[in-house]
Amino acid sequence: MRLPGTDRRLDAYWLLVAPLLVLVAVFFAWPVLNILLISVTEPAPGLGNYEKLITSASLGRILRTTLRICLLTTVMSVAVGYLIAYTMVHLGGRERAWMLALMLLSFWVSVLVRAFSWLTLLGRNGLINAMLTGSGLVDEPVAFVRNETGVLIGMVHYMIPYAVLPLLANMQGIDQRIMDASRSLGAGPLHGFLRIYLPLSAPGLVAASLLVFIISLGFYVTPALLGGGRVLMVAEYISVQVLVTVQWGVASMLATLVLASVFGLLFVLSRVMSISELFGARA
Amino acid sequence: MQDKAFFKDMALQGAEDFKSGRLGRRDFLILCAVIGAAPFAVAAGDAEAAANEIVLWNWGGDAVKCHTDSFGAPFSKETGLGFRIDTSGPLQGKIKEMVESKHVTADVADADAFDAIALGKSGHLEPIDYSVVDKNKVLEGFAWEHGVSIIFYGYAFMYDTEKFKDNPPTTWADFFNTRDYPGKRSLYKWANGAIEGALMADGVAKDQVYPCDLDRALDKIKSIKEDSFYWGSGSAAQQMIVNGEVSMGMVWLNRAKIVEADTNGRYRLNMNQAIAMPGAYIVPKGNPAGRANVMKFIASCQTPERQIDLFRCHGMTPANPAAFAMIPDDLKRFAVTSEENLSRVLLNDPEWWAENGGEAVNKYLDAIS
Repeated sequence: MRLPGTDRRLDAYWLLVAPLLVLVAVFFAWPVLNILLISVTEPAPGLGNYEKLITSASLGRILRTTLRICLLTTVMSVAVGYLIAYTMVHLGGRERAWMLALMLLSFWVSVLVRAFSWLTLLGRNGLINAMLTGSGLVDEPVAFVRNETGVLIGMVHYMIPYAVLPLLANMQGIDQRIMDASRSLGAGPLHGFLRIYLPLSAPGLVAASLLVFIISLGFYVTPALLGGGRVLMVAEYISVQVLVTVQWGVASMLATLVLASVFGLLFVLSRVMSISELFGARA
Repeated sequence: MQDKAFFKDMALQGAEDFKSGRLGRRDFLILCAVIGAAPFAVAAGDAEAAANEIVLWNWGGDAVKCHTDSFGAPFSKETGLGFRIDTSGPLQGKIKEMVESKHVTADVADADAFDAIALGKSGHLEPIDYSVVDKNKVLEGFAWEHGVSIIFYGYAFMYDTEKFKDNPPTTWADFFNTRDYPGKRSLYKWANGAIEGALMADGVAKDQVYPCDLDRALDKIKSIKEDSFYWGSGSAAQQMIVNGEVSMGMVWLNRAKIVEADTNGRYRLNMNQAIAMPGAYIVPKGNPAGRANVMKFIASCQTPERQIDLFRCHGMTPANPAAFAMIPDDLKRFAVTSEENLSRVLLNDPEWWAENGGEAVNKYLDAIS
């Protein structure tokens, strides 16, 4: 049991934070909650929309497609991102600066421009296919885009900077001398990497994976354009329900689901590691 | 509601007083803070301007220039009212949201007939004033309580003349026949047109298409799923054809002329069994310019010369029967209401789509993904 006087210091800090909390609550939390409430009030009060998750085969398929693509994107982005971050950390100042600059440049290109560029590059009559068929390597143009492959290419390309930056931040904090020390104690390069470097970079890996996965969940434009209409993900489906078929209950229910999944993921992770350290705040 | 008008009035009065020096700056700011209005928005005097212009809500792109030149500029000259275009695209959900939150920013939306019927039923639209808008200036049957047709657009397919020069495809049955006509296809992503095309391909007679047998149509569509791409915007449809990705592509008719030009005539439009979609000008309830002004505007859009102007610029076919005869000869092929085409096309049934559109779109998305 706490004595009334002992929490005095905590009270002062809460007072400082309170205005910000109120601002977030009023201008962010309340409107979002309002929208999420639509899932239990339209078209009729109750959990009918949530029942659709179990009864509707199409909803299940859309969610599975979304999950599959997001997981694949996360794995591939983080793998490539790890390589890039590792290289950047071990390079000297100028090369690293160049790599960072190039990566940030691609980071700033709009998602719509990227999607259309991929279509031009990888389309049936695009540059790559023209090279492949022209040189005789393949007979028919390869279907790079307007299918799931195209979506993955587009999404991984977009996500790599998101994967690299947390990894870079984490790796820069790993003291290089630890690797030297492990070598002097007899560990080979592979052994040293697996037993020492990888575990040390684990927080970065988790942060990068989390970031990429959460952003992928909400991806709309890239799958819509590069998937040729055949890769339907949950974000586009929600948009269609809100704008075209005007089934706001279903849309809100799916939005609630996505939001709840993200929070659930963060919760599970908080059991395994310190979330605040993940997002940069040192304990 | 009352409060809003009162506050607006207070704000305007405060602005005038501030301008004339009766109200000190500090007091004016306090007044604005109390009302909740940003000071500069009120002092600029724009609060009244909204009522003096017509805002047409359409889908952007070429439509902006064409509608401004054909409809907006002549109307402004006649009446002195301003004209502006909002290009965010009047989807049903957006209109519903706007009217329900009482924050309507457009006067008339260039939408579909099934939007007029569906949203009219749910009470989100102003009824059309047929004492100002002339029912006789619209093709018979295309003037509804909450919307009136100013233009027709449509769905048809374009085919590769080089690939199929020996026996060009002429029907939807040919479109869905990937054995005799190999290659990829493209269809509209949100069911309109594709459902009717599939039913006609499966042998349903034109007058039996509505009410649509959704399952039959979806089976047909699923049969060419492996070879199909789906587009959600006119530019995507155009790109798929111009880039040679499909050998037969469904398009919106107003794009057909541009695509033929872009591909140097290689891809040709087939109007047989085209699905003619009646557009509808609809007015969201509580529009800023008021009922009288917007009805005047809609009536002005019925002028045959202006509709022909729009057709020449943008490819949207006139809905005024008096304009049918005025369609220029070289463009008759692309017009859904020209005499050569009127008997070949299938007229879309907006009532069926208003009732079943939501279900149709969802089932379609389920089938194609």
